[in-house]
Amino acid sequence: MPIFNPAVETMDRKALLELQNERLQIVVNQAYSNVDFYRRKFDEAGLSPDDIKTLEDLKRIPFTTRKDLMENYPYGMFAVPLRDVVRLQFPLGLYGNPIVIGYTRKDLEVWRELVARIMAGIGITEHDIIQVAFNYGLFLGAIRFNQGAELIGAAVVPASIAPAEVQLRIMKDFRSTVLASTPSFAVHILEFMQKRGVDPRSLSLKIGLFGAEPWPEEVHRFIEDNWGIKAYDIYGVMELVEPGVAGECTAQAGLHIFEDHFLPEVIDPASGNPLDSGKSGELVLTTLTTNAYPLLRYRTSDVTALHPERCSCGRTLARMDRVLERADKMITVRGINVFPEKIQEVLGSFRGVGPGYLTSVSKKKGMNDQLKLEIETSAEIISAGEEKREALRDALHQALRRAIGLRVEVELKGHSA
Amino acid sequence: MTLHVEAGEIVSLIGANGAGKTTLLNVISGVHPSWEGSRVFNEVETRGWKPEKLVAQGIVQVPEAEKVFTPLSVLENLELGAYLRRLGRAVLQQEMEKVFAVFPILRERKIQPAGTLSGGERQMLALGKALMARPKMIMPDEPSLGLAPTIVSEIFRIIRSLNEQGTTILLVEQNAKETLRISHRAYVLDTGRIVLTGTGEDLLSNEEVKRAFLGKDYHGKWER
Repeated sequence: MPIFNPAVETMDRKALLELQNERLQIVVNQAYSNVDFYRRKFDEAGLSPDDIKTLEDLKRIPFTTRKDLMENYPYGMFAVPLRDVVRLQFPLGLYGNPIVIGYTRKDLEVWRELVARIMAGIGITEHDIIQVAFNYGLFLGAIRFNQGAELIGAAVVPASIAPAEVQLRIMKDFRSTVLASTPSFAVHILEFMQKRGVDPRSLSLKIGLFGAEPWPEEVHRFIEDNWGIKAYDIYGVMELVEPGVAGECTAQAGLHIFEDHFLPEVIDPASGNPLDSGKSGELVLTTLTTNAYPLLRYRTSDVTALHPERCSCGRTLARMDRVLERADKMITVRGINVFPEKIQEVLGSFRGVGPGYLTSVSKKKGMNDQLKLEIETSAEIISAGEEKREALRDALHQALRRAIGLRVEVELKGHSA
Repeated sequence: MTLHVEAGEIVSLIGANGAGKTTLLNVISGVHPSWEGSRVFNEVETRGWKPEKLVAQGIVQVPEAEKVFTPLSVLENLELGAYLRRLGRAVLQQEMEKVFAVFPILRERKIQPAGTLSGGERQMLALGKALMARPKMIMPDEPSLGLAPTIVSEIFRIIRSLNEQGTTILLVEQNAKETLRISHRAYVLDTGRIVLTGTGEDLLSNEEVKRAFLGKDYHGKWER
């Protein structure tokens, strides 16, 4: 099986742990001396970087959460001067409490290699044509596929989220062999083909590389069976690299985490205690090589389990289960992450509205998923004229659209007695 | 601190004065009196070993201050380097010939007292002495200190050539540029802590290293 960086990906586990130990000491020293937030956290905990000697000491370090990143917007978490930063990304938009992540040139080079590792691991070579159908505008990782493919020599067609008809035309005319997209978009294209009576197997597609949202086993089966392709999962964390933290290999027995760059732990989300391998819990990641934005024990809110046993593909990197649920209440609609905090922020800015609300996502898979919010509204507004309610709904609709980037159906409901 | 050196590598430790580089070498060679942690050589824990035992294993430090015994001749200094090996006359001669092959100038000066040698020649003698112990790994401590640039280049060229012939090198230096050029990997020390690591090439193009060691502009770390 092709491995992009065999020296690292098949490294003896003992050597890998030593490498992680060395890199951990460096990231701890850097974070402590360069990032005020970490200096404060350590000082408050009575901890010194010298106390972190081995991987065993990792659990002494306090966690970092998204809230910390929000509180230190814009540059409080940066470990390098701005002139070393070559990329700034704000994955949650700029409404409310945004976060901004920075990358140095070297960070981007590493990211590129990680995507190339994932691609090589599932058999992509210079002979492949990769149709990248991620939303290049909103999904910040989309362009990474171009760069990872360049390292391997594969061709890229940046199809973005052009309609299914166009995607199909590209697949036919250009004979794409790989599709990279969200699983729901892939299903949408598949359903379109079925409606048009096009046999998916008549296309040149062999491999699917799907991610940016959780997809259950049924979807996996649906794609593989109906399309005759191999569907692989990729995983990323927007505050670190997305995608690029982990990816499936041809064995399809979990996603290999790139442990030379990220130190994974699984914790019990309630108590924060680390769990043994094989046990399911919240994934916590520590960056080992990130220059601009080091994160120590970052809580991802993704639920998974770790398996350090060697894989049949030959890699010794630990595998994580596919992420199917989150420990927080984030939901993904059409590949876009929607955080309850954002919704609460918007509701909080309107009088008489919320805080209670119900979300529902229409069951239909594919691009037409609709997010609907039933929002608790004060009796005053409910009894006001239809015009007033209409205006409020519009205003909410606009504000929500600005905040989360999605058109949301809004319904105003009275408080339950 | 945690670091490792693999057989056949040139690994360097760079850092400003007082960063802790020499202390680290002294711990590795067994000269430093007390320390906590572990020192594993070829999978064997060597904590508690006396310096002689470590030298016998092939770990040879080339110290910074008072590198050579100035009243003794070049020949006598070299003999001392092989002391622990208890060599017979003939083998001793052979080993010295090997050193003279690497450092021809030492042959010319072999009966002179080491104190009459120039700075560069003394550095060569120090290295030659280390080679007489038939080391697996030598640890030169600031070999470029006080030497003219052309001599420094020569010294580094020789170090690289020794490595190509199989000697592992753990090098401590303030002169980052020359060192990183010949190093496979390096660690950057700052007040007793390792703050960076990477291949020699990576670190040569690393912004922080450039600012701190390679003479580029230094405005301070936080510019927000």
